[in-house]
Amino acid sequence: MDTLAFLLDGFMVALTPMNLMWVSIGGLLGTIIGMLPGLGPATGVAVLLPLTFSMGPTAALITMGGVYYGAMYGGSRASILINTPGDGAAVAATFDGYPMTKQGRAESALAISAIASFIGGIFATFCMVAIAIPVARFALRFGPAEYFMLFLFALSATASMTEGNRLRGFIATILGLMIATIGIDGQSGVSRFTMGILELQSGIDFLIVIIAVYALGEVFKSFKNIDSGQATVQKSFGKIWISREEWKRSVWPILRSAPLGFFVGALPGAGGTMASLMSYNNEKQLSKHSEEFGDGAIEGLAAPESANNAASVGAMIPMLTLGIPGSGTTAVMMGALLLLGLQPGPMLFQQQPLIVWGLIASMFIGNIILAVMNIPLAGLLVRVLSVPPKILYPIVLGLSFVGAYAISYSVMDFFLLIGFGLLGYFMSRSKFPSTPMILAVIVGNNMEQSFRRAYKISDGSLGIFFASPICLILFSLTVISILYPLVKAGIAKRKTAEA
Amino acid sequence: MFKRTLSLLLILMAVFTMGLAAEGQTDGAGGNPQYPKGVLDFVAPGGAGGGWDLTIRTTAKVLKDTGLVKVPMPVRNNPGAGGSVNLASLQEKEGSDKIVCVYSSPLILTKLNGTTDLGYEDVTPLARLIADYAVFVVAAGSEYKTMNDVMDALKSDIKSVKIGGISSVGSMDHIQFLMMAKAAGIKDLNQIDYVSFDDSATAQVLGGHIDVYSTGLSEVLGLIESGDLRALAQTADHRVGEGVVADIPTCVEQGINATFVNWRGLFGAPGMPEYAVTYWRETLAKLVETPEWEQARITNGWDDAYQDAPEFAEFLAQVNQEYTEILTDIGMIK
Repeated sequence: MDTLAFLLDGFMVALTPMNLMWVSIGGLLGTIIGMLPGLGPATGVAVLLPLTFSMGPTAALITMGGVYYGAMYGGSRASILINTPGDGAAVAATFDGYPMTKQGRAESALAISAIASFIGGIFATFCMVAIAIPVARFALRFGPAEYFMLFLFALSATASMTEGNRLRGFIATILGLMIATIGIDGQSGVSRFTMGILELQSGIDFLIVIIAVYALGEVFKSFKNIDSGQATVQKSFGKIWISREEWKRSVWPILRSAPLGFFVGALPGAGGTMASLMSYNNEKQLSKHSEEFGDGAIEGLAAPESANNAASVGAMIPMLTLGIPGSGTTAVMMGALLLLGLQPGPMLFQQQPLIVWGLIASMFIGNIILAVMNIPLAGLLVRVLSVPPKILYPIVLGLSFVGAYAISYSVMDFFLLIGFGLLGYFMSRSKFPSTPMILAVIVGNNMEQSFRRAYKISDGSLGIFFASPICLILFSLTVISILYPLVKAGIAKRKTAEA
Repeated sequence: MFKRTLSLLLILMAVFTMGLAAEGQTDGAGGNPQYPKGVLDFVAPGGAGGGWDLTIRTTAKVLKDTGLVKVPMPVRNNPGAGGSVNLASLQEKEGSDKIVCVYSSPLILTKLNGTTDLGYEDVTPLARLIADYAVFVVAAGSEYKTMNDVMDALKSDIKSVKIGGISSVGSMDHIQFLMMAKAAGIKDLNQIDYVSFDDSATAQVLGGHIDVYSTGLSEVLGLIESGDLRALAQTADHRVGEGVVADIPTCVEQGINATFVNWRGLFGAPGMPEYAVTYWRETLAKLVETPEWEQARITNGWDDAYQDAPEFAEFLAQVNQEYTEILTDIGMIK
């Protein structure tokens, strides 16, 4: 009952005209920032930092929250329309979102992305109100061994992504893992494969690889026929909405992905990228139309979209309940809280209930405002597709470079961008799938470091990886996820043989 | 072929003119009594929201609020390799009077552990401003009640206590624990298991995955206040803060005769002009006397550690010596 009373108080705070304005401005800003490649919610919030000094703590938090969810909504726009994910959490939206656009179904793709984001966000906010504390406590049971198993499970998605092309997929995965080893190794303090280049010490940001392979790769691919005008340009646009059939196919994936995203988001260090990739893989395994995945299956877009928005809400939990940053973005938000003279942590709920509950209430409001704002906005954005490639691609190229620079303000990243762009181009020419490589780059370093941490803690015994129920469950899921596509392929083969 | 030569020429010309322009700027500012003029360039060598970022933004804010500095002081983040990326870019701005950046212990450690060849001699110290101290925390239910409990356990079995921290092996969180262990009489320092985490190891110590978390006070303040974490010791030579923080005993009190100060100070580019150094020494001396600064320090849990440039330089040399010894002990410097 207390919770409800606090929540109502929170709504009183969030519904004041000023705060409504801030959450809308934050949301709009976030949407725009999220759409640009490389500029994700963390950058958005960081850019906003100086502005928040002059606001009160409540308004500052609400605005930053707005930017955060706004960026989650916006992040996938570019994935869907031009195959250029705005940040890690939007990578999964390219898998089926971009194929949908190519088939002339961009309107449905944009609509389902906004709808799924909305449901994911609202669902997660309800969870937050109801079970924030227990979830935070449960997340503490994840030690290095559990994280290793979680990352391993995420990586096992490569098995289903490489159906029909296993050897090449495997090579691409290994390549990604190799890229992930570059930089200072925390457990020994030794620089690995940095070739004396200072900028490589902190490793290669996976966003650089993503922007390079997807955006630059796409541009390089179309270079050949950019003058011949072969690239299709969509001229007429329908309404931004989905059909009854599409809704039927998406509703369960959306509802299943929301709790998954919420929970993975609440794990410090896992976050929206992992959540969306895991939900994509799950849906692919569960779906009756799994052969359509990667070829414009609407549920393959709906699921990760729901998961990553739910994750952005979940990531607030460790910050608000324990004072632990749950993601890069919440780390910046925590810095802002400190600058505003607030101490994030378990006492925050007691000492500043209005601020915390104001933020939670603004999550409800922010998600509604963003959903309303995003449908008409999508109607405008979709017209990007009527821009001839000759004009569009140079713009994409420019945005990619700006985005790469914004990640760590390093000129070195330009060279990496070009290098990985070429790698992506040649990989696609010689039919190496790039997604397993990206996935390996994303989880590789975390997976390795978690393994080594666990190994150190257990004094070199592998038993620690099978010691807890969480480990065992995750391990079983990994085995299933690797074997399932093989078994399914085997059954299909037998069936055709019988027929 | 001709096209390529032409574009090369054009680039060379562009670079040359930019060089000239930069040259001109320095000349124009030379001996200018009107300093500071124009827009200053405040730099955090780490990402937004981190400790360096917080320090320089707070400094800029108080300098502005108190009217000590009237020109704009926008803060720029130049993160990478524990601040070494910024250190390298500072070398290209030699003689600049615009740049003011913040550094702390890693300025010295990154050179010693081989991340970079550049160190504290390659920047111009302006003033040491604040300090926070290392704190060693355990989960509320832990068997370790004092720092000596941990040291005793390590003495009987060096592998029995797992220490966690955020920075990598050989950097601050690791070193600050080793300095205490050394003072407590532990010999085989290189055998102590230190587990490095990425962003935060707070969840790991709360969940019982590591035994002791070696970190900074601000990182875990909220959880100490709520009683979820127990602070075994902090590394100042005196009690700090107020409330629960003041209850944390120092290592010295517990018979471990060592201190560790994570100082933070401001620096200019190498070869910063004399007039600029003088200006900042005077301005920062005034800054630390203002009530606004005191308030900001208290809010953030920073201890006053003001030192003027000459003493600061001596201090840096002394700290450099201490860290060198520890890193030699664990075999990271041969």
